[in-house]
Amino acid sequence: MASRAPAATSRLLVGFRKWYYNACGFNKIGLMRDDTLHEDSDVKEAVRRLPEQVYNDRMFRLKRALDLSMKQQVLPKDQWTKYEEDAHYLEPYLEEVVRERKEKEEWAKK
Amino acid sequence: MRGIRGISQLSRRFYAATQRDQPLTVPLPGIKVSAGAPHMYQDVHVTKLPSGLVIASLENYSPASRIGVLIRAGSRYETIDNLGVTHLLRLAASLTTKGASAFKICRGVEAVGGSLSVSSSRENMAYTVDCLRDHIDTVMEYLINVTTAPEFRPWEVSDLTARVKLDKELAKQTPQIGVIENLHAAAYKNALSNSLYCPDFMLGQITAEQMHTFVQNNFTSARMALVGLGVDHAVLKQVGEQFLNIRSGAGTVGSKAMYRGGELRHQSGGGLVHAVVASEGASATSAEATAFSILQHVLGAGPHVKRGSNTTSKLSQAISKVTAQPFDVSAFNANYTDSGLFGVYTICQYNAAKDVIKAAVSQVNDIAQGNLGAADLSRAKNQLTAEYLMSIESSEGLMEAIGSQVLAEGTYHSPESVTQKINAVSSADVVNVAKKFMSGKKTMTSSGHLVNTPFVDEI
Repeated sequence: MASRAPAATSRLLVGFRKWYYNACGFNKIGLMRDDTLHEDSDVKEAVRRLPEQVYNDRMFRLKRALDLSMKQQVLPKDQWTKYEEDAHYLEPYLEEVVRERKEKEEWAKK
Repeated sequence: MRGIRGISQLSRRFYAATQRDQPLTVPLPGIKVSAGAPHMYQDVHVTKLPSGLVIASLENYSPASRIGVLIRAGSRYETIDNLGVTHLLRLAASLTTKGASAFKICRGVEAVGGSLSVSSSRENMAYTVDCLRDHIDTVMEYLINVTTAPEFRPWEVSDLTARVKLDKELAKQTPQIGVIENLHAAAYKNALSNSLYCPDFMLGQITAEQMHTFVQNNFTSARMALVGLGVDHAVLKQVGEQFLNIRSGAGTVGSKAMYRGGELRHQSGGGLVHAVVASEGASATSAEATAFSILQHVLGAGPHVKRGSNTTSKLSQAISKVTAQPFDVSAFNANYTDSGLFGVYTICQYNAAKDVIKAAVSQVNDIAQGNLGAADLSRAKNQLTAEYLMSIESSEGLMEAIGSQVLAEGTYHSPESVTQKINAVSSADVVNVAKKFMSGKKTMTSSGHLVNTPFVDEI
Protein backbone atom coordinates (compact mmCIF):
# COMPACT_ATOMS: atom_id res chain seq x y z
CA MET A 1 0.00 0.00 0.00
CA ALA A 2 1.33 3.44 -0.80
CA SER A 3 2.46 5.33 2.25
CA ARG A 4 2.70 8.69 0.59
CA ALA A 5 0.45 11.31 2.18
CA PRO A 6 -1.64 13.00 -0.52
CA ALA A 7 -1.01 16.67 -1.06
CA ALA A 8 -4.60 17.59 -0.33
CA THR A 9 -6.45 15.25 2.03
CA SER A 10 -9.90 16.11 0.73
CA ARG A 11 -12.98 14.58 2.28
CA LEU A 12 -13.48 12.60 -0.91
CA LEU A 13 -10.09 10.98 -0.67
CA VAL A 14 -10.47 10.15 3.01
CA GLY A 15 -13.93 8.73 2.34
CA PHE A 16 -12.53 6.53 -0.42
CA ARG A 17 -9.72 5.34 1.77
CA LYS A 18 -12.06 4.40 4.60
CA TRP A 19 -14.32 2.51 2.18
CA TYR A 20 -11.32 0.66 0.76
CA TYR A 21 -10.02 -0.20 4.26
CA ASN A 22 -13.34 -1.71 5.25
CA ALA A 23 -13.68 -3.48 1.92
CA CYS A 24 -10.32 -5.23 2.48
CA GLY A 25 -11.92 -7.06 5.33
CA PHE A 26 -8.90 -7.87 7.51
CA ASN A 27 -10.24 -5.53 10.15
CA LYS A 28 -13.16 -7.90 10.63
CA ILE A 29 -10.83 -10.50 12.13
CA GLY A 30 -9.07 -7.90 14.28
CA LEU A 31 -5.89 -7.31 12.26
CA MET A 32 -4.02 -4.10 11.50
CA ARG A 33 -2.51 -3.24 8.12
CA ASP A 34 1.04 -3.99 9.21
CA ASP A 35 0.01 -7.47 10.40
CA THR A 36 -0.90 -8.38 6.85
CA LEU A 37 2.38 -7.42 5.17
CA HIS A 38 3.98 -10.23 3.23
CA GLU A 39 6.95 -11.42 5.27
CA ASP A 40 9.98 -10.97 3.05
CA SER A 41 13.45 -10.61 4.55
CA ASP A 42 13.07 -6.86 5.17
CA VAL A 43 9.79 -7.32 7.04
CA LYS A 44 11.22 -10.23 9.03
CA GLU A 45 14.15 -8.06 10.18
CA ALA A 46 11.80 -5.18 11.04
CA VAL A 47 9.60 -7.51 13.10
CA ARG A 48 12.71 -8.79 14.91
CA ARG A 49 13.44 -5.20 15.96
CA LEU A 50 10.03 -4.51 17.45
CA PRO A 51 9.92 -3.72 21.17
CA GLU A 52 8.64 -6.65 23.19
CA GLN A 53 5.20 -5.22 23.95
CA VAL A 54 4.42 -4.33 20.35
CA TYR A 55 5.65 -7.75 19.19
CA ASN A 56 3.46 -9.55 21.71
CA ASP A 57 0.41 -7.56 20.61
CA ARG A 58 1.11 -8.46 16.98
CA MET A 59 1.43 -12.15 17.84
CA PHE A 60 -1.83 -12.05 19.76
CA ARG A 61 -3.70 -10.45 16.86
CA LEU A 62 -2.30 -12.98 14.40
CA LYS A 63 -3.21 -15.89 16.65
CA ARG A 64 -6.75 -14.57 17.11
CA ALA A 65 -7.14 -14.06 13.36
CA LEU A 66 -5.93 -17.59 12.57
CA ASP A 67 -8.34 -18.98 15.12
CA LEU A 68 -11.28 -17.07 13.64
CA SER A 69 -10.26 -18.10 10.14
CA MET A 70 -10.24 -21.74 11.17
CA LYS A 71 -13.68 -21.43 12.71
CA GLN A 72 -14.93 -19.50 9.64
CA GLN A 73 -16.12 -16.69 11.93
CA VAL A 74 -15.59 -12.94 12.26
CA LEU A 75 -15.45 -10.75 15.33
CA PRO A 76 -18.54 -8.89 16.54
CA LYS A 77 -18.86 -5.54 14.72
CA ASP A 78 -17.84 -3.48 17.74
CA GLN A 79 -14.47 -5.25 17.88
CA TRP A 80 -13.50 -4.64 14.25
CA THR A 81 -10.32 -2.52 13.90
CA LYS A 82 -11.36 1.02 12.96
CA TYR A 83 -9.58 2.99 10.23
CA GLU A 84 -8.66 5.74 12.73
CA GLU A 85 -7.21 3.27 15.23
CA ASP A 86 -5.03 1.43 12.75
CA ALA A 87 -1.44 2.24 13.81
CA HIS A 88 1.29 1.71 11.22
CA TYR A 89 3.60 0.45 13.94
CA LEU A 90 5.98 -1.39 11.68
CA GLU A 91 6.56 1.47 9.25
CA PRO A 92 9.47 3.24 11.00
CA TYR A 93 11.33 -0.02 11.54
CA LEU A 94 10.70 -1.17 7.99
CA GLU A 95 11.89 2.13 6.55
CA GLU A 96 15.08 1.87 8.58
CA VAL A 97 15.71 -1.69 7.41
CA VAL A 98 15.20 -0.73 3.77
CA ARG A 99 17.44 2.32 4.17
CA GLU A 100 20.21 0.16 5.63
CA ARG A 101 19.88 -2.40 2.85
CA LYS A 102 20.07 0.33 0.22
CA GLU A 103 23.17 1.78 1.90
CA LYS A 104 24.86 -1.63 1.78
CA GLU A 105 23.96 -1.97 -1.92
CA GLU A 106 25.37 1.50 -2.64
CA TRP A 107 28.66 0.58 -1.00
CA ALA A 108 28.76 -2.74 -2.83
CA LYS A 109 28.55 -0.90 -6.14
CA LYS A 110 31.67 1.17 -5.40
CA MET B 1 85.90 47.85 1.38
CA ARG B 2 83.77 44.97 0.29
CA GLY B 3 86.21 42.57 1.88
CA ILE B 4 86.17 44.35 5.27
CA ARG B 5 82.41 44.46 5.28
CA GLY B 6 82.46 40.76 4.52
CA ILE B 7 84.69 40.02 7.53
CA SER B 8 82.56 41.99 10.00
CA GLN B 9 79.54 40.08 8.83
CA LEU B 10 81.25 36.73 9.38
CA SER B 11 79.89 36.34 12.92
CA ARG B 12 76.34 36.82 11.65
CA ARG B 13 76.83 34.48 8.71
CA PHE B 14 78.24 31.73 10.84
CA TYR B 15 75.59 32.19 13.57
CA ALA B 16 73.72 28.98 12.77
CA ALA B 17 76.93 26.96 12.65
CA THR B 18 78.01 28.21 16.08
CA GLN B 19 74.77 26.97 17.65
CA ARG B 20 76.02 23.44 17.51
CA ASP B 21 74.46 22.09 20.67
CA GLN B 22 71.00 23.36 19.86
CA PRO B 23 68.77 20.76 18.14
CA LEU B 24 67.10 22.08 15.03
CA THR B 25 63.73 20.98 16.34
CA VAL B 26 63.39 23.90 18.76
CA PRO B 27 63.46 27.57 17.80
CA LEU B 28 66.80 29.38 18.11
CA PRO B 29 67.06 31.23 21.43
CA GLY B 30 66.65 34.97 21.36
CA ILE B 31 64.70 34.96 18.15
CA LYS B 32 61.10 36.11 18.18
CA VAL B 33 58.95 33.20 17.07
CA SER B 34 56.08 33.99 14.68
CA ALA B 35 52.49 33.28 15.69
CA GLY B 36 52.11 30.09 13.71
CA ALA B 37 55.42 28.60 14.71
CA PRO B 38 54.97 27.69 18.42
CA HIS B 39 53.01 24.54 17.73
CA MET B 40 55.21 23.34 14.92
CA TYR B 41 58.19 22.05 16.79
CA GLN B 42 58.18 18.67 18.41
CA ASP B 43 56.90 19.24 21.91
CA VAL B 44 53.75 17.97 23.49
CA HIS B 45 51.34 20.90 23.65
CA VAL B 46 48.62 20.79 26.29
CA THR B 47 45.69 23.19 26.39
CA LYS B 48 42.81 23.14 28.82
CA LEU B 49 39.54 24.51 27.48
CA PRO B 50 37.11 26.38 29.76
CA SER B 51 34.73 23.44 29.60
CA GLY B 52 37.33 21.26 31.29
CA LEU B 53 38.32 19.35 28.19
CA VAL B 54 42.09 18.91 27.92
CA ILE B 55 43.68 18.85 24.49
CA ALA B 56 47.16 17.49 23.94
CA SER B 57 48.99 17.09 20.68
CA LEU B 58 52.41 16.26 19.39
CA GLU B 59 53.49 17.02 15.86
CA ASN B 60 55.82 14.18 15.07
CA TYR B 61 55.76 14.59 11.28
CA SER B 62 54.80 10.97 10.92
CA PRO B 63 52.80 9.91 7.84
CA ALA B 64 50.28 8.17 10.08
CA SER B 65 48.26 10.11 12.61
CA ARG B 66 46.62 8.82 15.72
CA ILE B 67 43.84 10.56 17.64
CA GLY B 68 42.35 9.40 20.89
CA VAL B 69 39.48 10.50 23.07
CA LEU B 70 40.15 9.43 26.64
CA ILE B 71 37.42 9.61 29.22
CA ARG B 72 37.50 9.05 32.94
CA ALA B 73 34.76 6.45 32.70
CA GLY B 74 36.33 3.14 33.52
CA SER B 75 34.82 0.25 35.39
CA ARG B 76 35.29 1.99 38.74
CA TYR B 77 32.39 4.33 37.88
CA GLU B 78 29.90 1.49 37.48
CA THR B 79 27.22 1.33 40.14
CA ILE B 80 25.87 -1.82 41.70
CA ASP B 81 22.88 -1.71 39.28
CA ASN B 82 24.81 -1.52 36.07
CA LEU B 83 27.85 -3.71 36.66
CA GLY B 84 29.25 -4.66 33.28
CA VAL B 85 28.07 -1.57 31.38
CA THR B 86 31.65 -0.56 30.53
CA HIS B 87 32.21 -3.99 28.99
CA LEU B 88 29.17 -3.41 26.79
CA LEU B 89 30.37 0.09 25.94
CA ARG B 90 33.72 -1.32 24.86
CA LEU B 91 31.90 -3.59 22.42
CA ALA B 92 29.40 -0.91 21.39
CA ALA B 93 31.93 1.39 19.74
CA SER B 94 31.01 0.07 16.32
CA LEU B 95 27.24 0.45 16.71
CA THR B 96 25.03 2.94 14.91
CA THR B 97 25.43 6.58 15.85
CA LYS B 98 23.35 9.62 15.00
CA GLY B 99 25.60 10.52 12.10
CA ALA B 100 26.50 7.14 10.66
CA SER B 101 25.15 3.63 10.71
CA ALA B 102 27.26 0.77 12.02
CA PHE B 103 27.82 -0.42 8.45
CA LYS B 104 29.00 3.02 7.37
CA ILE B 105 31.42 3.38 10.28
CA CYS B 106 32.96 0.01 9.53
CA ARG B 107 33.23 0.52 5.77
CA GLY B 108 34.15 4.20 6.03
CA VAL B 109 37.06 3.57 8.38
CA GLU B 110 38.22 0.61 6.29
CA ALA B 111 37.97 2.63 3.07
CA VAL B 112 40.66 5.06 4.23
CA GLY B 113 42.80 2.29 5.67
CA GLY B 114 42.32 3.42 9.24
CA SER B 115 41.29 1.62 12.36
CA LEU B 116 39.00 2.41 15.28
CA SER B 117 39.63 0.73 18.59
CA VAL B 118 38.48 0.99 22.17
CA SER B 119 40.26 0.00 25.29
CA SER B 120 39.25 0.55 28.85
CA SER B 121 40.87 0.17 32.18
CA ARG B 122 39.50 0.46 35.66
CA GLU B 123 39.74 4.24 35.45
CA ASN B 124 39.74 5.35 31.82
CA MET B 125 38.15 4.56 28.55
CA ALA B 126 40.09 5.31 25.38
CA TYR B 127 38.66 5.50 21.87
CA THR B 128 41.47 5.65 19.33
CA VAL B 129 41.56 6.09 15.58
CA ASP B 130 44.61 5.97 13.43
CA CYS B 131 45.01 6.46 9.73
CA LEU B 132 47.13 8.24 7.18
CA ARG B 133 47.55 11.94 7.79
CA ASP B 134 45.47 12.96 4.75
CA HIS B 135 42.35 11.13 5.83
CA ILE B 136 42.28 12.29 9.41
CA ASP B 137 39.10 14.37 8.86
CA THR B 138 37.06 11.35 7.86
CA VAL B 139 38.03 9.18 10.80
CA MET B 140 37.81 12.08 13.22
CA GLU B 141 34.16 12.51 12.22
CA TYR B 142 33.48 8.86 13.04
CA LEU B 143 35.37 9.16 16.32
CA ILE B 144 33.30 12.18 17.39
CA ASN B 145 30.12 10.36 16.41
CA VAL B 146 31.02 7.30 18.45
CA THR B 147 32.01 9.20 21.58
CA THR B 148 29.33 11.87 21.64
CA ALA B 149 26.28 10.60 19.77
CA PRO B 150 25.82 6.84 20.05
CA GLU B 151 22.26 5.58 19.62
CA PHE B 152 22.45 2.20 21.36
CA ARG B 153 19.57 0.70 19.43
CA PRO B 154 17.96 -2.04 21.56
CA TRP B 155 18.34 -4.80 18.98
CA GLU B 156 22.00 -3.94 18.36
CA VAL B 157 22.68 -3.94 22.11
CA SER B 158 21.06 -7.34 22.59
CA ASP B 159 23.12 -8.69 19.71
CA LEU B 160 26.21 -7.79 21.77
CA THR B 161 25.46 -10.47 24.37
CA ALA B 162 27.13 -13.14 22.24
CA ARG B 163 30.28 -11.01 21.98
CA VAL B 164 30.33 -10.46 25.74
CA LYS B 165 30.20 -14.21 26.25
CA LEU B 166 33.05 -14.68 23.78
CA ASP B 167 35.16 -12.07 25.60
CA LYS B 168 34.59 -13.81 28.91
CA GLU B 169 35.45 -17.21 27.49
CA LEU B 170 38.67 -15.85 26.03
CA ALA B 171 39.53 -14.29 29.37
CA LYS B 172 39.00 -17.64 31.08
CA GLN B 173 41.75 -19.13 28.93
CA THR B 174 44.30 -16.91 30.72
CA PRO B 175 44.34 -17.65 34.46
CA GLN B 176 46.25 -14.42 35.13
CA ILE B 177 43.25 -12.32 34.15
CA GLY B 178 41.00 -14.15 36.58
CA VAL B 179 43.52 -13.84 39.38
CA ILE B 180 43.99 -10.09 38.90
CA GLU B 181 40.23 -9.50 38.72
CA ASN B 182 39.82 -11.47 41.94
CA LEU B 183 42.66 -9.51 43.49
CA HIS B 184 40.84 -6.24 42.94
CA ALA B 185 37.54 -7.70 44.09
CA ALA B 186 39.17 -8.92 47.30
CA ALA B 187 41.27 -5.82 47.96
CA TYR B 188 38.64 -3.11 47.62
CA LYS B 189 35.15 -2.53 48.93
CA ASN B 190 33.92 -0.45 45.98
CA ALA B 191 34.93 1.34 42.79
CA LEU B 192 38.18 -0.47 42.03
CA SER B 193 36.64 -3.80 42.99
CA ASN B 194 34.43 -3.72 39.89
CA SER B 195 35.61 -6.18 37.30
CA LEU B 196 36.55 -5.17 33.77
CA TYR B 197 34.29 -7.93 32.49
CA CYS B 198 30.53 -8.17 32.70
CA PRO B 199 29.54 -10.44 35.63
CA ASP B 200 27.67 -13.63 34.73
CA PHE B 201 24.41 -12.57 36.31
CA MET B 202 24.32 -9.39 34.21
CA LEU B 203 24.71 -11.14 30.86
CA GLY B 204 21.87 -9.95 28.66
CA GLN B 205 20.52 -7.71 31.42
CA ILE B 206 22.21 -4.46 30.48
CA THR B 207 19.71 -2.33 28.58
CA ALA B 208 20.25 0.48 26.11
CA GLU B 209 18.79 2.93 28.66
CA GLN B 210 21.46 1.95 31.20
CA MET B 211 24.14 2.53 28.61
CA HIS B 212 22.67 5.93 27.72
CA THR B 213 22.53 6.89 31.38
CA PHE B 214 26.11 5.86 31.95
CA VAL B 215 27.27 7.89 28.95
CA GLN B 216 25.20 10.91 30.02
CA ASN B 217 26.62 10.82 33.51
CA ASN B 218 30.24 10.03 32.79
CA PHE B 219 31.18 11.16 29.30
CA THR B 220 31.33 14.83 30.25
CA SER B 221 33.75 17.44 28.93
CA ALA B 222 35.49 17.93 32.25
CA ARG B 223 36.48 14.27 32.29
CA MET B 224 37.64 13.99 28.71
CA ALA B 225 40.95 14.47 26.99
CA LEU B 226 41.55 14.72 23.27
CA VAL B 227 45.03 13.56 22.32
CA GLY B 228 46.53 13.71 18.85
CA LEU B 229 49.81 12.46 17.45
CA GLY B 230 50.69 13.88 14.07
CA VAL B 231 47.88 16.43 14.05
CA ASP B 232 47.89 20.18 14.26
CA HIS B 233 47.09 21.55 17.69
CA ALA B 234 44.86 24.29 16.32
CA VAL B 235 42.76 21.75 14.42
CA LEU B 236 42.34 19.61 17.52
CA LYS B 237 41.39 22.63 19.58
CA GLN B 238 38.70 23.59 17.08
CA VAL B 239 37.31 20.05 17.10
CA GLY B 240 37.33 20.02 20.88
CA GLU B 241 35.52 23.34 21.17
CA GLN B 242 32.90 22.58 18.55
CA PHE B 243 32.07 18.93 19.04
CA LEU B 244 33.18 17.66 22.41
CA ASN B 245 31.29 20.28 24.40
CA ILE B 246 27.85 18.76 24.48
CA ARG B 247 27.92 17.44 27.99
CA SER B 248 29.41 19.87 30.44
CA GLY B 249 30.03 19.50 34.11
CA ALA B 250 31.76 16.81 36.03
CA GLY B 251 29.05 14.18 35.85
CA THR B 252 28.61 11.79 38.74
CA VAL B 253 31.43 11.89 41.21
CA GLY B 254 33.01 8.48 41.61
CA SER B 255 33.41 7.15 45.10
CA LYS B 256 36.82 6.97 46.74
CA ALA B 257 38.26 3.49 46.58
CA MET B 258 38.39 1.90 50.03
CA TYR B 259 41.03 -0.73 50.55
CA ARG B 260 39.93 -3.58 52.75
CA GLY B 261 42.36 -6.44 52.24
CA GLY B 262 40.74 -9.85 51.83
CA GLU B 263 41.22 -13.23 50.31
CA LEU B 264 39.68 -15.05 47.37
CA ARG B 265 40.56 -18.61 46.46
CA HIS B 266 39.46 -20.26 43.23
CA GLN B 267 39.88 -24.01 43.25
CA SER B 268 40.08 -25.01 39.61
CA GLY B 269 42.28 -28.09 39.61
CA GLY B 270 45.16 -28.53 37.22
CA GLY B 271 48.81 -28.79 38.08
CA LEU B 272 49.70 -25.16 38.73
CA VAL B 273 48.90 -22.52 41.32
CA HIS B 274 48.69 -18.84 40.45
CA ALA B 275 48.87 -16.67 43.56
CA VAL B 276 49.18 -12.97 44.33
CA VAL B 277 49.98 -11.55 47.73
CA ALA B 278 49.51 -7.79 47.70
CA SER B 279 49.08 -4.84 49.97
CA GLU B 280 48.03 -1.26 49.43
CA GLY B 281 50.55 0.59 47.30
CA ALA B 282 50.83 4.19 46.14
CA SER B 283 48.50 6.24 44.01
CA ALA B 284 49.85 7.45 40.67
CA THR B 285 50.42 11.00 41.88
CA SER B 286 51.83 10.25 45.32
CA ALA B 287 55.48 10.75 46.16
CA GLU B 288 56.00 7.05 46.72
CA ALA B 289 54.81 5.94 43.30
CA THR B 290 58.27 6.00 41.74
CA ALA B 291 59.77 4.24 44.75
CA PHE B 292 57.24 1.42 44.37
CA SER B 293 58.08 1.11 40.68
CA ILE B 294 61.75 0.88 41.53
CA LEU B 295 61.06 -1.71 44.21
CA GLN B 296 59.14 -3.65 41.59
CA HIS B 297 62.20 -3.72 39.34
CA VAL B 298 64.55 -4.49 42.23
CA LEU B 299 62.48 -7.56 42.98
CA GLY B 300 62.06 -8.53 39.36
CA ALA B 301 59.41 -7.51 36.85
CA GLY B 302 59.57 -10.13 34.17
CA PRO B 303 62.53 -11.69 32.37
CA HIS B 304 64.68 -9.45 30.20
CA VAL B 305 66.53 -12.22 28.41
CA LYS B 306 64.51 -14.95 26.76
CA ARG B 307 65.10 -18.42 28.12
CA GLY B 308 67.65 -16.97 30.52
CA SER B 309 68.08 -17.73 34.18
CA ASN B 310 66.65 -14.36 35.33
CA THR B 311 69.67 -13.64 37.55
CA THR B 312 68.71 -10.01 38.10
CA SER B 313 65.37 -10.85 39.64
CA LYS B 314 65.82 -11.18 43.37
CA LEU B 315 62.51 -13.00 43.67
CA SER B 316 63.58 -15.58 41.09
CA GLN B 317 66.85 -16.18 42.86
CA ALA B 318 65.16 -16.52 46.24
CA ILE B 319 62.59 -19.00 44.98
CA SER B 320 65.05 -21.11 43.02
CA LYS B 321 66.65 -21.91 46.38
CA VAL B 322 63.48 -23.52 47.73
CA THR B 323 62.26 -25.46 44.71
CA ALA B 324 63.82 -27.12 41.71
CA GLN B 325 60.54 -27.34 39.78
CA PRO B 326 59.57 -24.79 37.14
CA PHE B 327 58.09 -21.56 38.48
CA ASP B 328 57.61 -17.96 37.52
CA VAL B 329 57.51 -14.93 39.76
CA SER B 330 57.17 -11.23 39.26
CA ALA B 331 56.49 -8.18 41.39
CA PHE B 332 53.06 -6.68 40.77
CA ASN B 333 52.50 -2.92 40.88
CA ALA B 334 49.36 -1.01 40.00
CA ASN B 335 48.76 2.71 40.46
CA TYR B 336 45.34 4.34 40.33
CA THR B 337 44.32 7.90 41.00
CA ASP B 338 43.57 7.42 44.69
CA SER B 339 45.09 4.09 45.59
CA GLY B 340 47.41 1.38 44.40
CA LEU B 341 48.37 -2.23 44.82
CA PHE B 342 51.81 -3.73 45.25
CA GLY B 343 52.69 -7.37 45.68
CA VAL B 344 54.24 -10.51 44.30
CA TYR B 345 52.68 -12.78 41.69
CA THR B 346 53.85 -16.40 41.70
CA ILE B 347 53.12 -19.31 39.39
CA CYS B 348 54.38 -22.66 40.59
CA GLN B 349 53.60 -26.39 40.87
CA TYR B 350 50.85 -27.08 43.35
CA ASN B 351 52.93 -29.08 45.83
CA ALA B 352 55.56 -26.32 46.11
CA ALA B 353 53.07 -23.47 46.51
CA LYS B 354 53.60 -22.93 50.24
CA ASP B 355 57.40 -22.75 49.98
CA VAL B 356 57.35 -20.56 46.89
CA ILE B 357 54.91 -17.98 48.27
CA LYS B 358 56.69 -17.83 51.61
CA ALA B 359 60.07 -17.41 49.90
CA ALA B 360 58.73 -14.60 47.71
CA VAL B 361 57.28 -12.66 50.63
CA SER B 362 60.37 -13.17 52.77
CA GLN B 363 62.49 -11.78 49.92
CA VAL B 364 60.49 -8.55 50.10
CA ASN B 365 60.91 -8.65 53.86
CA ASP B 366 64.65 -8.95 53.33
CA ILE B 367 64.63 -5.65 51.45
CA ALA B 368 62.40 -4.09 54.09
CA GLN B 369 65.09 -4.89 56.65
CA GLY B 370 67.44 -2.69 54.66
CA ASN B 371 69.40 -5.21 52.59
CA LEU B 372 69.37 -3.22 49.39
CA GLY B 373 72.67 -2.99 47.58
CA ALA B 374 73.61 0.08 45.56
CA ALA B 375 74.21 -2.09 42.49
CA ASP B 376 70.68 -3.49 42.70
CA LEU B 377 69.21 -0.02 43.12
CA SER B 378 70.99 1.43 40.11
CA ARG B 379 70.16 -1.66 38.07
CA ALA B 380 66.49 -1.27 38.94
CA LYS B 381 66.56 2.45 38.10
CA ASN B 382 68.09 1.70 34.71
CA GLN B 383 65.54 -1.01 34.00
CA LEU B 384 62.62 1.24 34.94
CA THR B 385 63.96 4.14 32.87
CA ALA B 386 64.56 1.88 29.89
CA GLU B 387 61.09 0.37 30.19
CA TYR B 388 59.40 3.77 30.27
CA LEU B 389 61.44 5.25 27.44
CA MET B 390 60.97 2.18 25.25
CA SER B 391 57.23 2.20 25.89
CA ILE B 392 56.85 5.72 24.56
CA GLU B 393 58.71 4.90 21.38
CA SER B 394 55.65 3.35 19.78
CA SER B 395 52.69 5.54 18.94
CA GLU B 396 50.32 3.39 21.02
CA GLY B 397 52.56 3.66 24.05
CA LEU B 398 53.06 7.37 23.57
CA MET B 399 49.34 7.97 23.16
CA GLU B 400 48.66 6.04 26.34
CA ALA B 401 51.36 7.86 28.28
CA ILE B 402 50.25 11.31 27.14
CA GLY B 403 46.57 10.47 27.54
CA SER B 404 46.73 9.04 31.04
CA GLN B 405 48.97 11.84 32.33
CA VAL B 406 46.88 14.57 30.77
CA LEU B 407 43.64 13.04 32.00
CA ALA B 408 44.86 12.52 35.54
CA GLU B 409 46.94 15.63 36.09
CA GLY B 410 46.27 18.01 33.19
CA THR B 411 49.94 18.16 32.19
CA TYR B 412 52.47 16.01 30.43
CA HIS B 413 55.81 15.21 32.05
CA SER B 414 58.62 15.07 29.54
CA PRO B 415 60.80 11.95 29.51
CA GLU B 416 63.64 14.00 30.96
CA SER B 417 61.63 14.94 34.04
CA VAL B 418 60.50 11.33 34.48
CA THR B 419 64.11 10.14 34.31
CA GLN B 420 65.10 12.77 36.86
CA LYS B 421 62.33 11.65 39.19
CA ILE B 422 63.51 8.05 38.93
CA ASN B 423 67.12 8.97 39.63
CA ALA B 424 66.12 11.07 42.63
CA VAL B 425 64.79 8.07 44.54
CA SER B 426 67.15 6.96 47.29
CA SER B 427 67.78 3.57 48.80
CA ALA B 428 65.98 4.67 51.98
CA ASP B 429 62.81 5.45 49.98
CA VAL B 430 62.77 1.97 48.49
CA VAL B 431 63.35 0.34 51.88
CA ASN B 432 60.51 2.41 53.31
CA VAL B 433 58.02 1.30 50.71
CA ALA B 434 59.10 -2.30 51.21
CA LYS B 435 58.37 -1.81 54.93
CA LYS B 436 54.98 -0.35 53.97
CA PHE B 437 54.22 -3.49 52.00
CA MET B 438 55.23 -5.78 54.83
CA SER B 439 53.26 -3.90 57.47
CA GLY B 440 50.13 -3.27 55.41
CA LYS B 441 47.03 -5.45 55.52
CA LYS B 442 47.56 -8.17 52.94
CA THR B 443 45.26 -9.28 50.17
CA MET B 444 45.68 -12.68 48.57
CA THR B 445 44.11 -14.43 45.63
CA SER B 446 44.98 -17.83 44.35
CA SER B 447 43.75 -20.11 41.60
CA GLY B 448 44.59 -23.66 40.62
CA HIS B 449 45.00 -26.78 42.72
CA LEU B 450 45.02 -25.22 46.15
CA VAL B 451 45.70 -28.20 48.40
CA ASN B 452 49.08 -26.88 49.52
CA THR B 453 48.45 -23.13 49.21
CA PRO B 454 48.57 -21.15 52.46
CA PHE B 455 45.87 -18.72 53.50
CA VAL B 456 46.77 -15.06 53.81
CA ASP B 457 47.14 -15.27 57.59
CA GLU B 458 49.50 -18.22 57.33
CA ILE B 459 52.19 -16.43 55.33
